[in-house]
Amino acid sequence: MVKDYLKWLWKVIRKPQEYQSLKKYMLFRELNPFELSLVNACLHNREYRAGEVLFEDGHPLEALFFIVSGELQVSGKLNPQGSAILKKHQFIGVIDLFGNNKRSGSATALTDLNVLALTESDFQDLISKNKRLGNKLLKACCEFLGCYLQDIGSGQ
Amino acid sequence: MNWTKIVFIVIILATIVLGFIFYRPVFSYLIASLVFAYILDPLVTSLEYRGVPRWVSVLMVYAVIAGLLALFTTRMVPMLINQGNNLMALFQYSDKPVSEQVLALPFVRSVFEFLQNVDKQVPSLGFSAKFVHLIETGNQLLGELPKLLVDNYQTILSMISFVITVPVFSFFILKDKQTLRKGMLSLVPNRFFELAVILQNKIDETVGRFLRAILLEVISVSIMTSVALTIVGVPYAVLIGITAGVANIIPYIGPWLGAALAVLTVLITGKPLSMMIYAALAMYLVQVLDNNFVYPVVVGKTIKMHPLIVLVTVLAGGWFGGIIWMLISVPLVYIVYSLVRELYINLKQFRLI
Repeated sequence: MVKDYLKWLWKVIRKPQEYQSLKKYMLFRELNPFELSLVNACLHNREYRAGEVLFEDGHPLEALFFIVSGELQVSGKLNPQGSAILKKHQFIGVIDLFGNNKRSGSATALTDLNVLALTESDFQDLISKNKRLGNKLLKACCEFLGCYLQDIGSGQ
Repeated sequence: MNWTKIVFIVIILATIVLGFIFYRPVFSYLIASLVFAYILDPLVTSLEYRGVPRWVSVLMVYAVIAGLLALFTTRMVPMLINQGNNLMALFQYSDKPVSEQVLALPFVRSVFEFLQNVDKQVPSLGFSAKFVHLIETGNQLLGELPKLLVDNYQTILSMISFVITVPVFSFFILKDKQTLRKGMLSLVPNRFFELAVILQNKIDETVGRFLRAILLEVISVSIMTSVALTIVGVPYAVLIGITAGVANIIPYIGPWLGAALAVLTVLITGKPLSMMIYAALAMYLVQVLDNNFVYPVVVGKTIKMHPLIVLVTVLAGGWFGGIIWMLISVPLVYIVYSLVRELYINLKQFRLI
C-alpha cells in the first residue's frame, strides 16, 4: 500500500491529471485520485476495428468494457428497444456481472473502438482489497442499476 | 492474406524459436520458480490485502521460510544425516566381509539357509553362491557412492546454483505478478481476450491449489509416518517418514513404496519380525488418516485417475527422466488434463469449437 501511495504521489507530481479521465465513467465518479490509480493498474487497453464483435449472447462474462473512443452497438433482451448504441465514457457488463455471469446480449464495434477492459476477478480483487474503494464501486453499481431500472420503467 | 502479414508472422515465429533455443537451459529454472511462486502466492497476497507493499510481502515470506529452513537444518538435518550414515555403515564398515555381516541378519539368514537347502537338493543350481555374489555387488555399488559424488561435482554445483537462482526468479514473478499477467493478456487477440482471462484465472487456481495441496500432503504424511514409526520403534523413522511423504505424491503406488521401505528397514536392521507387522499396520493407519481426513480437507477432491493410468504415467515418467519424473509425472499429467478440460469447456461456451 505504501508503495502504491508513493507511486501515485510521483505520478501526481509529474502529471496531476493522469487518471482524471476515468472519473468520466459513472462507476468511478466518486473515486479519489489514489483509488483511480489503483483501478487504472487493473485496466487492459484493447483496440477493436469497426464490425469486430466484442462478445456474443450466452458467452461467459469475464470483463467490463469502458469505452474510451468510438461507438459500440449492443443488442439483447436487456435493451427495451432491442438495441442501443454506447459512446465514449459509457460502459457495458455491469448488469450481467450481478446476474449469472453470462452475457445477455451481443456487442459489436460500430466504428474503430478503443476500450478499457476490467476483468471480473480484478473487479472482485479491488472490492475485497480496498474496503473504501469497494464501497464506492458497489454504491456506483447500485446507482447505475437504479438508473437502468428507471429508464426501463419510463420506457426509454 | 497479404505478404506483409505473412512476413510478420514468419518473423514472430522465428523469434519465438530462437528465443526458445536461447533460453532452453533456464527453462527448468523458470518452471521451478513458477512452482515456488505458486506455492507462496496466497501468503504474499494475504499480506498485501493487509496493506503491506507486495515486494515487502515477498521479502517477509522469504524471511519466514529462511527461518523455518534454518530451524529444520539445525534440528533435523544432523539427525537425518546420522540415520543415513548408520544405514550405510550397516553395509560398508566392518572387520568381517560384508556378505558375512549381511548374512548375519535374521531374515537374510533364513533366505540363505533356504537357498543352501535347495543347493543340497540340486547342487548344480548354485543359488547360495549367487546370493552371496548379489550381496557383494550391492555393497560395491553402495561403496561407490562417494566416488559418484566426486565424479558428478559439476551436477552438484549446478544443483547449488539452481537452489540459489530459483528464489530470485520467484521473487520477481511474485512481485510483478499483475504486470506479467497484463503483459501476457496484451498479446492475446480480441476474440480470445475473455477466454484467455478465464484460462489464466483457472491456471492460477488449479495449479496453485494443487501444488500447495501436494506440499501440505507431503509434510503431513512425513510427520504422521515419522511419529507412527517412532512409536512402533522402527529405526530411522524420520528418514523413512520423509521418504514416504515424498513418495506419497504418486497415488496408489507411493503409499506402498513407503510401507515397503519401513518393512525392509525392519528386516535389514534385524529387529524382531513382529515389528514388521506393527510397521505395516502403522503405515496403514497413516494412510487411513491421510485418505479420510488430510487429503479431503487439503486437496478438496482426490485425483480421479484410474490406477492403470497412474501406473502407466509413473512408468513413462521413469523412462523419460528417472525418479524425479516418476514423482512429478502424475501431478503434471493431472494438471495438464484439468487445463485441457477447462479449455474444452470454455471453447464450447464461447462457441469457438
